[in-house]
Amino acid sequence: MTRSHAVQAVLLIAALALPAWAGPYWVHVGAIAWYYALLASSWALLAGYAGQFSFAHVAFAALGGYASALLSLHFGIPPGIGVVAGIVLAMVAGALIGWLVLRLTGPYLALFTLALSEIFRLMLVAEQQLTRGSLGLQVPGWFGGESDRPYYYFGLSLLVAALLLMAGLLRTRVGLFLRAIRDDEGAARAAGVNTTLYKILVFVVTSGLAGLAGTYYGPFVGILTPSMVILPEMGLVIAMAVIGGIESLPGAAVGAVIVYGLSELTREYGQWRFVLLGLALILVQRFAQNGIFAVLERPLLRPPAVEAERGRG
Amino acid sequence: MDEAEFFAADGLSKHFGGIIAVDGLSISLSRGELVGLIGPNGSGKTTTINMVAGALRPDEGTIRLRGVTMTGSPAHVFARGGVARTFQVPRLFRRMTVLENLIVPALSNPAARRAEAERRAGEVLSFLRLEHLTRSLARALSGGQQKLLELGRALMLRPSLLLLDEPFAGVHPQLLAQIMEHIGSLNAGGHTIIVVDHNIDAIRSLVRRTVVMAQGRKIADGPSEDVLRDPAVIRAYTGARDAH
Ligand SMILES: Nc1ncnc2c1ncn2[C@@H]1O[C@H](COP(=O)(O)OP(=O)(O)O)[C@@H](O)[C@H]1O
Ligand SMILES: [Mg+2]
Repeated sequence: MTRSHAVQAVLLIAALALPAWAGPYWVHVGAIAWYYALLASSWALLAGYAGQFSFAHVAFAALGGYASALLSLHFGIPPGIGVVAGIVLAMVAGALIGWLVLRLTGPYLALFTLALSEIFRLMLVAEQQLTRGSLGLQVPGWFGGESDRPYYYFGLSLLVAALLLMAGLLRTRVGLFLRAIRDDEGAARAAGVNTTLYKILVFVVTSGLAGLAGTYYGPFVGILTPSMVILPEMGLVIAMAVIGGIESLPGAAVGAVIVYGLSELTREYGQWRFVLLGLALILVQRFAQNGIFAVLERPLLRPPAVEAERGRG
Repeated sequence: MDEAEFFAADGLSKHFGGIIAVDGLSISLSRGELVGLIGPNGSGKTTTINMVAGALRPDEGTIRLRGVTMTGSPAHVFARGGVARTFQVPRLFRRMTVLENLIVPALSNPAARRAEAERRAGEVLSFLRLEHLTRSLARALSGGQQKLLELGRALMLRPSLLLLDEPFAGVHPQLLAQIMEHIGSLNAGGHTIIVVDHNIDAIRSLVRRTVVMAQGRKIADGPSEDVLRDPAVIRAYTGARDAH
């Protein structure tokens, strides 16, 4: 077991134990944090590994959430099937967008995905008949009772499953190809990598996981609104991934939990929380470019030459 | 298969807006040949390499390798078909290790296994005398080492045609001799190679046949010594110098 695995095991045990000693408020906060952790870690795969700096990630969460809720509400489809349908729809939309942005990089990709995301948000607002617009769509819960614990543990399981799935994918040659595409797409092609295939694949996988996050979020919070897709939400997800470590999927998840937890702790400061978030971003960029998770898991005795080994799993 | 037909580019042309970068260029190579492609800056050498490697689709013309028409295929299909190239300015996977840079092309073959790819990478690294850098990040390498690693990455494709775009540009004289030696021994080992340079002096000892380009056209093609004496070639070079 490496030090990195040990850190992850300790964090997982802490997460499993939290409801035993923390009050219901923190269980609620934790259950929402899993939503952000799913988004931040899958976005880290898309942007940190594959270099696809998409701003449409939260739109896929909304797509998955709305689709599964609407299927249940209008067609009486059981929630389980609705969830699968929401994820599949997000994956199909991910493939489409992955294909649309094949020739776009950097700021062009960011702007294009931001525009798509904004169009989708406006559609959610405008389609009042279907989505109830800005009023928000009421979503029935999955679990009865008052406690948030079932959601807490369900969300945590989804997060762990997603992290394992992504880590498994990255251990295959796909992980290598995605990083090659990020570093130099033309050189990856010259090295025989079918970059079209892998770029679309990474959009499909990460969009599906964002869709999964949305299908979990709706029944837990009880309402879906178009404000899930606003730019500050996307900015929050990006900040979480960058603070935690954009090239480490568990790092991005930890970043999401820390940032969301801190934003709850500092709720009384209102808008000033975003100033704090900005400061945290600047500090991380200055002092811990691989994110705070890399600082946590960096072995004390490891020589700097092995820096090369980072940026995996 | 006719040996002269190992590789054939026929009537390649490429425009960029109003600029005609390559204008009706034809080259054919037989198996195991080592050819120099020279010409003043801007004469279309890199554009030619880009078309032959599948990175740019020619406006006109065809490319055949071992009798198979490759024109219009994406670059990774060219690579998998045995066309490997280096870039004028090295384009490595900078945030990946030297070893990872090498196994990407090997693993782009779906049948390849990682252990075998790593073993081959070890061989290539020892051929290039870079073993001590196996686990370094590519971006930590010196300019010359990056050129060598890029050559290694091309070799990992087990290419039947190797395209080297200015392998000596900006290289330390000591390393220049080493790269010359590598190219010579690769050719002796049976590789078919096109070496691009803007200056024939650097490669005249290396290549027996030289193709000269000027303003997108082929203006000479033959034994290096003859080509060097060709008045059209001399004019192209002095003309290019006067223009500066
Ligand atoms: N991508 C491009 N867009 C526009 N013009 C280009 C592009 N690539 C090359 N050119 C132009 O085509 C001509 C040939 O360039 P190039 O093939 O790079 O020449 P060389 O490698 O012989 O120096 C030059 O005039 C160059 O400016
Ligand atoms: Mg050039």
